Amino acid sequence: MQSSESLVMDDYEAAVELFYDRGWTDGLPIVLPTRKLVEAMIAATGRDRHESLGPVPPKGGQASIEKLAINAVMGGCLPAHFPIVLAAFEGMMAPEHNVNGVTQTTHMCVSLAIVNGPVSRALNFNSRDGVFGNGYRSNAAVGRALRLALWNLGGAVPWDTDKATMSHPGEYAFCIAEEEEDNPWQPLHVDRGMPAGSDAVTVFACEGPHSVLCSGAPEEMLHVLADSMVGLGNNNIHVGGQMLVVLNPLNAEDFHRRGWSKWDVRQYLWENARRKLGDVAACGPVHDQFRKAQQAVGRYPFRYDLDNPKTMVPVTQSPEDIHIVVAGGRTYFAAVLPGWGSFGGYAVTVPIRPLAT
Amino acid sequence: MEIMIPVWAHMPTPQIARKELDDLRGATVALVDDNFDEPFTTHLEKLLTDGYGAIVNRLIKPLGSAPSPVSLIDQAARSQVAIVGIAL
Repeated sequence: MQSSESLVMDDYEAAVELFYDRGWTDGLPIVLPTRKLVEAMIAATGRDRHESLGPVPPKGGQASIEKLAINAVMGGCLPAHFPIVLAAFEGMMAPEHNVNGVTQTTHMCVSLAIVNGPVSRALNFNSRDGVFGNGYRSNAAVGRALRLALWNLGGAVPWDTDKATMSHPGEYAFCIAEEEEDNPWQPLHVDRGMPAGSDAVTVFACEGPHSVLCSGAPEEMLHVLADSMVGLGNNNIHVGGQMLVVLNPLNAEDFHRRGWSKWDVRQYLWENARRKLGDVAACGPVHDQFRKAQQAVGRYPFRYDLDNPKTMVPVTQSPEDIHIVVAGGRTYFAAVLPGWGSFGGYAVTVPIRPLAT
Repeated sequence: MEIMIPVWAHMPTPQIARKELDDLRGATVALVDDNFDEPFTTHLEKLLTDGYGAIVNRLIKPLGSAPSPVSLIDQAARSQVAIVGIAL
């Protein structure tokens, strides 16, 4: 694989403007990817600059380590962030994530990166108050690096191949960490097969966070969560797929204190986050057609009678398709993040390699 | 200062259509059914066939939200016109 081209400029302001003129940035200014910064980023991984994670859909630019390093510098990453960027990007390129579809769909989903493990605290990722918001370099820089790489290598540009009708602000940066210290349960990446104490990142394409006023007894919290998950406007209630529920540490503590495991919560939500097919069908024939088409290709279980208006349809195909993460401040709010449905964007968890230097 | 360029110089670009048809009558049209809206696609097929006299070859994608298999693209390429997707 060829090396990246470069140019020499001495005028800082003109160089920043050049990135706008050439369409190499997402609307915000970037950190100039100087040779020195990019080389430090590559050296931190110990990986060959020409190694590629594959052609990035839909336009197919190769995700070489060097190109990803350039985009990581632009997003504000330090070398210590780069292994997380690479792991998350590898996750997005997995077939079940279907980044080709996530980029080009008219739906608003964006790939969220969820960081787990000791690296999260070491690099000061935010997992607590305001977890989806601003203020933390690691969340912002890793999130933006991923978006810039999709922009510059895959062509994820609105009005071009990014056909999102609305999209959401996570298209600038969409990265959180799970709170693992103030959390009675095992973290997401361990749920998904990674060793306890390891570093990993999970990517999942979803809408922005929907607020859920969630407090009280477990059954009360679950009642409002289940209701929030089955809005007729989200894709999940029509075609299944996966969904993310973010409980704050106080929610998790309350469940745990009253004997509820994370699995119990997930199972309850799957059994109760349902709607009558008649309600769903009232949205119109296109929704029915989607559901039947997905069933025809094996992405919606045949055990549900889709011709009976009294059938209670679940929001996902199985309890395992409801991902639960603990993050945010210790208050009375949780969040629900619907996915893209059964079209893709599924969660993929990838271990984060240690730094080489 | 030396600044690294974040894009590839030669990104793949869409191919330009070889020629436009003046009339669909008798033309072969590949209609790629992306499995999203069967009634609409059937309506479109009927319109092309009955209304415009086209010879429609309807090709069904296994999954609407993922790229077509190469074999399907090759089949579509044998027609004079291809409708490769329907946005909803």
